[in-house]
Amino acid sequence: MGFTLQMAALATLAILPFGIAAGLALARYTGPGKGALETFLSLPLVLPPTAVGVVLLELLSRRRFPGSLFASLDIEVVFTWKAVLLATAVMSFPLLVRSARTAFEEVDPRLVGMARSLGASPTRAFVRVTLPLAWRGLLGGSILAFSRALGEFGATVMVAGNIPGQTRTLALAVFHESQSGRDERAAVLAGVTVALAFAALWVTEWIARRRSVGAA
Amino acid sequence: MRRVSPGWSHLLGDGLVITALGLACSGALKSVAADDLLLFAAASLTDAVEELGHSFEEQTGQTLRISVGSTANLARQIRAGAPADVFFSADERQMERLRAAGAVRPEAIVPVLSNALVVIVPTSAAQTLTSPEELLGFPRIALADPETVPAGVYAREYLETRGLWAALASRVVPTLDVRGALAAVEAEHAPAAIVYSTDAALSRRVHVAYAVPPEETPSIVYVLAPLRGGHSSSRALVEHLVSRRALDVYERFGFVRLRH
Repeated sequence: MGFTLQMAALATLAILPFGIAAGLALARYTGPGKGALETFLSLPLVLPPTAVGVVLLELLSRRRFPGSLFASLDIEVVFTWKAVLLATAVMSFPLLVRSARTAFEEVDPRLVGMARSLGASPTRAFVRVTLPLAWRGLLGGSILAFSRALGEFGATVMVAGNIPGQTRTLALAVFHESQSGRDERAAVLAGVTVALAFAALWVTEWIARRRSVGAA
Repeated sequence: MRRVSPGWSHLLGDGLVITALGLACSGALKSVAADDLLLFAAASLTDAVEELGHSFEEQTGQTLRISVGSTANLARQIRAGAPADVFFSADERQMERLRAAGAVRPEAIVPVLSNALVVIVPTSAAQTLTSPEELLGFPRIALADPETVPAGVYAREYLETRGLWAALASRVVPTLDVRGALAAVEAEHAPAAIVYSTDAALSRRVHVAYAVPPEETPSIVYVLAPLRGGHSSSRALVEHLVSRRALDVYERFGFVRLRH
């Protein structure tokens, strides 16, 4: 369980800067190609995780770029914890982006405009105005992404394999125990995932409730 | 917003159409399923049973569906109630578990084939090992899950007798079945794997680096049995799968015949 939590946390942290950037871009950008960008970023949400796994395996193939780059640097990704990180990050990313986007859209652009007209640089306006107003939504999105990362299976099992002690997350362990005929053990592990998911989602809902109360 | 409430006759009409469609679909599916013979076979037998399945269908006119996968997974499905009629297992252990669960009659179990183990590497990194100790040079080795899947269990037993298992256990990448281990090497995601010689023979993207000598190979026995309460044509299929013609097919794929 510790490994699973570690990987989910790392994955969430890893996608945070990209998720925030993407959310901001989608909230603010109104030019051409926005629809395509939105759709592309949302793909892992809707695609079968195994399809995402196949794509990742192809990208990591040692025979061509970018996998060949890792190979030449002697970095192993497939069948290691790095693959777990990659798979969970990719699958959780769209959830974070969507939450971030909503959070930024709820920030009154006039407030940002006022800050800018008073002389604040875009960065300062973002840090001093946008972020403080959007942080709850971002936090909720992060926890949602974290929960998704906790439960990620399809892409992970394909790219990272189900290696005990090295890449076997809770979700993979449930599968393995079930496959090996140890149904009671599988049920116990599944119960743990239910408890974790419940806790994570409850906190997300609580944050969402606090937001609607706080936004006066 | 104007609310539109559908008239009751509308709902009834829709409901009838949907029910009719549903019944038609389920009826169609049922008629397909009830007639079919269902064979569960170990992954390593995929190509052989496909060929023999076609000849069986041609000869008898009986529709046959085949589900291949890891023997362990298939046995688990059968114990959970999967409607298989015949089971072709890659080891006696899984078949014995089914016998103990009352799913097969002991006198109906037929040993058919044996196999050999080989170490494979990608053709792009072709090399030859002079001894199994050289396996220690690989950072990772793909095996069908050594806990339950026959191919992995046989490989583990072999490595244990050579005193190599303790050192290699942490490097094992367990795959769902033996073909998964083969695929891992074909795609060069794993630098080596231990699979059956019959699997290695089917792939041009892998190279046999070491063939486990027969005297060091654990006893590999593929057993076949019809499942209790199965289709009336189960016996016919079993006979087809152990016929002279079938044995020739297995031999062509590289299996060792236990029957003559």
